[in-house]
Amino acid sequence: MKLSLKVWRQKNKEAEGQFKDYALSDISPDMSFLEMLDVLNEQLLAKGEDPVAFDHDCREGICGSCSMMINGKPHGPESMTTTCQLHMRKFKDGDNVVIEPWRASPFPVIRDLVVDRSAFDRIIQAGGFISVNTGNAQDGNTLPIPKPDADSAMDAAACIGCGACVAACKNASAMLFTAAKVSHLGYLPQGQPERQRRVLKMVEQMDGEGFGNCTNTNDCEAACPKGISVKNITRLNKDFLKATIFG
Amino acid sequence: MSSLLHFLRSTVFTKIVMATSGLLIIGFLVGHLLGNLLMFAGPEKINGYALGLKNLGPLLWVVRIAMITAFGLHVWSSIELALRNRAARPIAYDTKKSLKSTLASRTMLVSGMAILFFVIYHLLHYTFGIIQPNTYYAGGYRMESTGEIVHHVYNMVVAGFQNPFIALSYMIALAFMSSHVSHAMSSAFQTLGITNPNISKFTSKLGPALAAIFLIGYLSIPIGVMIGVIKKAPPQEHVLE
Repeated sequence: MKLSLKVWRQKNKEAEGQFKDYALSDISPDMSFLEMLDVLNEQLLAKGEDPVAFDHDCREGICGSCSMMINGKPHGPESMTTTCQLHMRKFKDGDNVVIEPWRASPFPVIRDLVVDRSAFDRIIQAGGFISVNTGNAQDGNTLPIPKPDADSAMDAAACIGCGACVAACKNASAMLFTAAKVSHLGYLPQGQPERQRRVLKMVEQMDGEGFGNCTNTNDCEAACPKGISVKNITRLNKDFLKATIFG
Repeated sequence: MSSLLHFLRSTVFTKIVMATSGLLIIGFLVGHLLGNLLMFAGPEKINGYALGLKNLGPLLWVVRIAMITAFGLHVWSSIELALRNRAARPIAYDTKKSLKSTLASRTMLVSGMAILFFVIYHLLHYTFGIIQPNTYYAGGYRMESTGEIVHHVYNMVVAGFQNPFIALSYMIALAFMSSHVSHAMSSAFQTLGITNPNISKFTSKLGPALAAIFLIGYLSIPIGVMIGVIKKAPPQEHVLE
C-alpha cells in the first residue's frame, strides 16, 4: 500500500520543529506502525538523511515507550492499542497520515517524535510506592484481599505510563495517570499506611510539573491503550479530600 | 496543617471550589425555575411570590450574598484553571480528534462566558429595569388577596417576551446554560469524589437530565408568551405605582 506521511521533525529540545512530508510505497498491511516507520527510516538513511526518532522498546504493547499522535489520536485509530500493536491494515491505500509527538509543556520534545516523560517518573517518586522492610516474602494468604479490590487494583496497575491520557486531554492533564498510580496501591492493604501522604504528594508533584487540570471530559479514558477508567480520578479526588480533612 | 496547605494550593482544591459553587448555582436555578413557572398560574401567584421574596428582608440578602459569592468563586476558579490549562499545551496539535468528550464538555469556557454576559443582561433587564424601562415600570398590580399594590412582575415578563428579539436572546442564553449544566452536573460529582456505586452509576446521566429539565422549564415561559398561552393581565382599577 501507498501512504503519504506528514511527520514532525525537530532536531532537539531548543530547535524549532516543522512538519515534513514523505511518500511511502510497498507498505505491507501486515506491518506494525513502527515497522512502517522503520521502512521510512531505512529509506532516509539510504538517502543520507536523518532517520525519524521515535521511542520504542518492547513492541509488545506493555512497556509504554511508543508514543505518538497518529491522525489526531494518541496511538492511532485503534482503541486500547499501543502504536507498536497497531497494524497497517487499519489504514487504507493512499491514506494521509499525520504523525506528531505528544504536546504538553511538561513533556518537552527531545527530538522528532520523542518527548521527555520524566515528569511521570517524578510523580511516581513523590509517592507512588510503598515503604517495606526487605526480607523474606510474606506468605500470600496472610493478607486477605477481597477479589473486587484485587481486580480494581490490577486494572489500575495496568497503566504503562505512556502519556496518551495527557496527549488526548484538551488540558494536557495527568490526572488519569496519577489517579491510576494512586489507586493501584490504595486498593490494597499494603498501600494503606502511606495512602494519605501518597495522594497529597503525588498531586502536588503533578501540579508542580505544570500539567493542566482535569475537567472530566473523559477523552483520557478513551485514549488509554490499557483502558484505565476515569473512576480512578473520582477515587483520587475522594482520597485527596479525605487526606486533607482527616490527614 | 501541612496537608491543609497542600490542599489549598492544589488544582484539585480549585476544582472543588468550582464544583461546590456550581452546585450552589444549580440549586438557585432549580428554585428560580420553580418560582418562574408561577407565570403559568397567573399574575396573582407570581406577583405574590415576588412580594414574598422581597419581604424576606435580611434573609433575601443572605441568599443574594451567597449567590454573588458562589458566582464570583466559580468565575475565579474557571479563570485560574483555564490559564493553567492553556500553559500546559503551548503548541497545539496539527490534527486532534475528540474521542469520548462531549461538545458541551469541551466548550465550558465559552458557554460559561455566555452565561456570565447573560446574567448581567438579565439583571439589567428584569431586576434593574434598564433594558426595557417602559415595560418594567408599566404600572403596579393590586393584590386581590390583600389589596396591596405591588410590582407587576407578570406584565413585565409578558411585555419583555412579546419583543421577539428579547425572547430570542433568552432562548440563545438558555441553550448555552443547558449545555453548561449538562456537563457541569456530572463533572461536579466526579470532582467531589462521589465513588458510591449506587450514585456514581447515575452521574453521567444526571447532567444531561437536569439540562433537559432546565431547558424545557425555562423555555416554556418565553414560548408561552409568544404563542399566547401567557397573556398580558387585564388592567385593574387602581392608582399607578
